[in-house]
Amino acid sequence: MSGRQIMSADELRRATVRISHEIVEKQAGTSGLLLVGIQRRGVPLAHRIAAAIAEHESAQIPVGALDITFYRDDLSLVAQQPVVKGTSLPFDINGMTVVLVDDVLYTGRTIRAALDALMDFGRPSVVRLAVLVDRGHRELPIRADHVGKNVPTSREETVRVHLAEVDGEDSVEIERMADLPGGAPAA
Amino acid sequence: MNAASGSGSNVGSGQNGATGPGGALARGRAAAASAELEISRAWLVDPATGREGPGELVVRDGVLRAVTWLRGADAAGVGPDGVIVVPGFTDLHAHLREPGDEAAETIASGLAAAAHGGFTTVCAMADTTPAADEPGVLIRVRALAAASGSPVRVLGVGALTAGRAGERLAALGELADAGAAAFSDDPAPVRSASILRSALAYAGMLGVPVVEHAVDPGLSHGAEANDGLVATVLGLRGSPAAAEEAAVGRDLAILADVVRDVPGVRLHLAHLSTAGSIALVRRAKAAGLPVTCDVTPHHLALTDGWLAGSRRWAWDGSDNPWADGPLAAAPYASSLRVEPPLRSAADAAACLVGLLDGTVDAVATDHAPIARPDREVEFGMSVPGIAGIETALGLLLAAVDAGRLPLARAIAALTSGPARVLGPRPASTAPGLIVGARADLVVIDRSAGWTVGPATIRSLGAPSPLVGRDLPGLVLLTIADGRLAWEASGA
Amino acid sequence: MSPSRPPGSPASPEDEGVGIPVVVPSVDAAPHSQPVAWRHRHLLDVDILSADETELVMRTTDAMREVLGRPIAKVPALRGTNVTILFYEASTRTRVSFEVAAKNLSADVVNIATATSSVVKGESFLDTLRTIEALGAGMLVLRHSHSGAAQLAAEHFGGSVLNGGDGWHAHPTQALLDLYTMRRRLPGGTVAGRKVVILGDALHSRVARSNIWSLTAAGADLWVCGPATLVRGLEAWAGSGVGPASRRFTVTSDVNAALRDADVVMALRLQQERMSGGLLPSLREYSARFGLTRERLALARPGALVMHPGPINEGVEIAPDVAEGIQSVITEQVANGVAVRMALLYLLAGVRGPR
Repeated sequence: MSGRQIMSADELRRATVRISHEIVEKQAGTSGLLLVGIQRRGVPLAHRIAAAIAEHESAQIPVGALDITFYRDDLSLVAQQPVVKGTSLPFDINGMTVVLVDDVLYTGRTIRAALDALMDFGRPSVVRLAVLVDRGHRELPIRADHVGKNVPTSREETVRVHLAEVDGEDSVEIERMADLPGGAPAA
Repeated sequence: MNAASGSGSNVGSGQNGATGPGGALARGRAAAASAELEISRAWLVDPATGREGPGELVVRDGVLRAVTWLRGADAAGVGPDGVIVVPGFTDLHAHLREPGDEAAETIASGLAAAAHGGFTTVCAMADTTPAADEPGVLIRVRALAAASGSPVRVLGVGALTAGRAGERLAALGELADAGAAAFSDDPAPVRSASILRSALAYAGMLGVPVVEHAVDPGLSHGAEANDGLVATVLGLRGSPAAAEEAAVGRDLAILADVVRDVPGVRLHLAHLSTAGSIALVRRAKAAGLPVTCDVTPHHLALTDGWLAGSRRWAWDGSDNPWADGPLAAAPYASSLRVEPPLRSAADAAACLVGLLDGTVDAVATDHAPIARPDREVEFGMSVPGIAGIETALGLLLAAVDAGRLPLARAIAALTSGPARVLGPRPASTAPGLIVGARADLVVIDRSAGWTVGPATIRSLGAPSPLVGRDLPGLVLLTIADGRLAWEASGA
Repeated sequence: MSPSRPPGSPASPEDEGVGIPVVVPSVDAAPHSQPVAWRHRHLLDVDILSADETELVMRTTDAMREVLGRPIAKVPALRGTNVTILFYEASTRTRVSFEVAAKNLSADVVNIATATSSVVKGESFLDTLRTIEALGAGMLVLRHSHSGAAQLAAEHFGGSVLNGGDGWHAHPTQALLDLYTMRRRLPGGTVAGRKVVILGDALHSRVARSNIWSLTAAGADLWVCGPATLVRGLEAWAGSGVGPASRRFTVTSDVNAALRDADVVMALRLQQERMSGGLLPSLREYSARFGLTRERLALARPGALVMHPGPINEGVEIAPDVAEGIQSVITEQVANGVAVRMALLYLLAGVRGPR
């Protein structure tokens, strides 16, 4: 662990549970609600939120996974094609309330891509956005409806979300890019 | 000047009067002037006498005045790895392209390339446009050679049949009167066995050899490469060894038939490329048939593995280029398209054995420059041919360096061998270091090499497959008919 | 390592020193878990693919199949990329497959068929390539009747070349869609250890050659079966191998031995010109001796897959009831063909040439 921890496993769990409550509150219930995690760490987060809702509302919210790779606006700029992780939306999104779930909200470009991708599957009545960390520096007019933690950052910093399903542990760290191998920025 | 060699040879030449050993080579002399040259402590190879060893020679006024073989202490430190002096080479088989395809080569550029390669006599093949099927073309080629100012001698080869079409005999008698050194329809084979039989008899009467490109057109039709593993994997249409061997067998049978009535008949099989062909000629020679043959430098040194991307010399590789380690180049280089196709390593080895045991009389370059637009195309669309007159010596010396070929045999294959094939008719003197004759010799620095490339190649056509390759043996001087034909820059 | 390269992405010789400013992916949050990267600017044949790279193609094809199942089967991944499809041979099926694949990725597609181009006016191949490049093509899909034409194109074209079939040499997208189809249908999802038979005119087949590379690499027990005149020369390849010894295969003219206990039987199209070339006596005789009939298929394992690269000469190399039977995956091959070609266009688009 090289960075400075800004969320512990406990804080991460509490933030997830709180977001799950907010989602239900905003929807005034659970009917018509769908969770769509953005690959990669948005997907386990969406499942955690669904599990939390199942616990306190006794309702099973369908969870989908959205890979926005094909919709990125930087495909012509990256050195190599990102590896596609796959989309799975095993439900009809028409007329539903779709909550997009991602780990970090930064420039907003990922969400722009996710909105474009989502619209190719149908016409939801409402789309909301839930993120674990909002670190600011938006480049597009996009905001989150549900935020686990607002973290002021500089552009020279990077925020790393670790989830047990992907990384073997739960935590959020912040580190300066110069500390990274190769000194390159990421995420 | 002091030749760049470790053996302490001295090469001196000058335009006017003698230049002593260690003197500077004057440059920019008129080609018409006679050469003056003194070489001390060099390695001399004289195929005429079979002798090689340390020696010295003097050329005055274009005439070889003295050859001195050194002994004892005088000879100490002089070896075949320094400056060597040999008679000028004869190429039995060069396509000089003029008239008709001057974008590929002209008589002038072809002779410049020949001189760079150490050749002082070149047989110009008859497949020009128009074909050399009557004396006019031979006379024109000779005039162009004279106009080029090159002292390299051109021997015209006349077509065997009218228009090289294989149907009627060309004006063989008139061509012979005009000085034709041989008759040939190359690169086409003589399809009709009956025409070949007549042609051999008639040419035999005239005392002129017939040069045949032996291939069965049915078996080689549409072929792009040697039929074998490489062609199979690359998906290229294969020409089997049988395509050549069937034709060689036919030609030898016809020769045996003709020789009974026309004892003067001579058949020369050009650029043989397969083990089976070499074996057939070996047997025919043992039976006393008047047959000779040559192989090309590229069929000795290159293999079909090069098509797959191998760049190993034939003697360094196997028949499976993928088993020999990483491939050095991309596959399908159009510059490797040639007729007959580059064969397997085993075929190349058999050609080399034939050269060593005398079955193969000569190495001929089949110099076939190709204009760029005809070469910068899909592999199978390329006009076949390798322009090899400048790289022939280097390829043979690579075999010498690899211990596969004695130096004296390599030189004989370029000098006395081709002279024997041509016979006494066109050659005024047999090649050799003959005192009192017009100087006709090549000075080679065996301690130096050169890189094949646009800056070093004099031929006009598309790049050779050897571009970028370092070849051993730098030709310092070529003297043809007593005149300077080539001088290495900086020499 | 270039300072602007994202950490964790392996350096590759092809993008080293190209000098394109590398913008960091703002999405992928796992810089250290980046799987194998695609590094090929061109795909001329499958022989260049490592096992990991083949796996990447297969996984990307999975994603493309998902895209094909969407209500709007189109994604903007190649928006702004000009994909020129240059076919020197008539082949509506393959050309359309590439065209649909490129359009599904939102590429701008330019179609050039020989009959409508200056190709017929004697313009050389390289002239055509230069023209296409000048017109803005970033990717070239090439079908050509000469083996090695794709290699020549790759040496002269500034963008990426995807080989759509060159002469008898290679047809990499077909081999990859065949592999993909087999892996989806075979129990265990692998061809390793499975007996796969290529039946028919392998000598003149680029499909056979590319499949020899990919199937031996994947560990299949590969058999190539056909009349002696149509498998001639392949024995040398099969026995000596052009790679590791494990990549040998079997060549036979004994159709019963080939089909016995086979897991996959791939019949090849028989061209009419083989008769005029004197390689076969008649279509009837070929069909009788080497056609894939229900009786012959019964020699294979129950449920063995029946494949064909198309277009089919029904009743010649394959009987109609076999081509349309329940063991046939021929239609699925066509569908997977679009997905595989989308995957390859997507992967190749990420590697730029040194302009």
